[in-house]
Amino acid sequence: MAEQAMWSGTISFSLVAIPVNLVMAAESGRVSFRLLHGKDYSPLVRRMVCPKEETIIPPDEIIRGYEIGPGKYVLITDEELESVSPERSRTIEIVEFIDIKEVDSIYYDHPYYLVPAKGGEKSYRLLVEVMHRTNKAGLAKFVMGEREYLVAIKSTEGVLALITLHYSDEILHDEDISPKGVNVDEDEKRRMKKNIKERMAEFRPDKYANERRKKILALLKKKVKEKAPVKAPELEEEEGEGPPDLMAALEESMRKVKKRP
Amino acid sequence: MSRKIVGITGKKLALSNLEKDLYPSYGFTKAHILEYYSRISAFILPHLKGRALTLKRYPEGVEKEFFFEKRCPSYHPSWVKTAEVHRNGKEDITACLINNLETLIWVGNLASIELHVPLARADSPETPDALVFDLDPGDPADILDCARVALILRGLLSRLRLVSYVKTSGKKGLHLYVPLNRGETTFDSTKMFSKAVADIMQKNYPDLVTAKMAKEHRKAKVFINWSQNDSSKTMVCVYSLRAREKPIVSFPLEWKELEKLAGRGNSEKMQIMHSEALLRVERQGDLFREVIKKKQKLPHL
Repeated sequence: MAEQAMWSGTISFSLVAIPVNLVMAAESGRVSFRLLHGKDYSPLVRRMVCPKEETIIPPDEIIRGYEIGPGKYVLITDEELESVSPERSRTIEIVEFIDIKEVDSIYYDHPYYLVPAKGGEKSYRLLVEVMHRTNKAGLAKFVMGEREYLVAIKSTEGVLALITLHYSDEILHDEDISPKGVNVDEDEKRRMKKNIKERMAEFRPDKYANERRKKILALLKKKVKEKAPVKAPELEEEEGEGPPDLMAALEESMRKVKKRP
Repeated sequence: MSRKIVGITGKKLALSNLEKDLYPSYGFTKAHILEYYSRISAFILPHLKGRALTLKRYPEGVEKEFFFEKRCPSYHPSWVKTAEVHRNGKEDITACLINNLETLIWVGNLASIELHVPLARADSPETPDALVFDLDPGDPADILDCARVALILRGLLSRLRLVSYVKTSGKKGLHLYVPLNRGETTFDSTKMFSKAVADIMQKNYPDLVTAKMAKEHRKAKVFINWSQNDSSKTMVCVYSLRAREKPIVSFPLEWKELEKLAGRGNSEKMQIMHSEALLRVERQGDLFREVIKKKQKLPHL
């Protein structure tokens, strides 16, 4: 699979360990645009600005605060956050198996595929088939980046999918939504049922498409043909366009130096 | 005292005590020292030329007492070029300029094993030709730690579009030079720039680097001595011998070689002996020639 792995490790439960790579299963259908300066087409960059001093704030002066009231903050350091972050881990530990139908789709957050890594093909295949036949899904916790996720691992069309789930306290309350004290008579129920039945179909997602995305892409294609694209001016890094002072320039250079492997 | 009169480029010079062993535990006489300096002269002279010399004399050899001499000895031959040097709050002095081979040999004969020069020339004493980072390891940090710091500095400087060059100090450290060679550079600007760089290095590599002079901060760290960027300071000249047990030279290294030696943890190979120095300059020429030629501007100042 050409898709870049976002994580790699093993799925494990009891004595089973299957090496896998995690890849995205869906991408946002958004067409993304760059924001440009209308005068000279320079791509714009984001800078953190202090509204009081009206100056750009260098990274070493930026700290985190949790807002507890208007204008009131509790400060928290990177070290403190680090101390409560989960330990990095290379396993997806399946703690229990559940009936996937029991998981309300409200809980579904983001879908991924699990791709078998070298040596894991056979047990992967086995898990896919058994989960498919029994209609069961594994419930697991796993750590990616700095977060611990609750996930469901299920079999879908011959592969394993991993769906990150919302934690129950992330689901917003629905008590007030359902209208109270309203009686529905049997006739109305029957009519509604009939209505639905007439529109029953198989789920065929390929019948639908993101029409706006299609139109935007068609429009862009047409514009590229009609007119040469505008060009951003080359940045003169030596003078003017660069960071405003020596310290900012040093900070920026240091960040780049440290990024190199 | 034995004396020998020699003629160098038509000048007569009386050399004394040539057989005296100035590196007794290694065996390297004053004659050896003069031979080294005369054979390296084509490479060292451009770096000494026009700069007020500070002599570091070891009349009884490297294991005995030494003294610094900023004044050109009053008995100097008439053909030795000198310059008046103004010093803040002190009286002016007359300093030697090593502009030619005969002066180099004459100074060597004074048992000035080490040759130290300022970053500016005597005729423009407030204009440094280069900016220097003097990397000095505090025990148990060593030259390998200096190499790590030098390589990071080189990366940082190149992001600022500044080319830099490195030489061994000939002792425990490394000297990183950024050529400037522009009339408008001041020591104020090189000092401010080098301090800012040293501070940011200390901030980002607190376990490896300190920018503070005080001894207690320097233990197990590389001190980036930015304060050498001053009109009153001198640096040991590239290709100068150092007064250690062995005749080791302050010698330029290519970045690639430093990278390789640092990667292998080979600190021994970073000490260049007199004989290897002579072999290397024959082969690779003066790796430091750009330090006194290349024009660069400090950014954002």
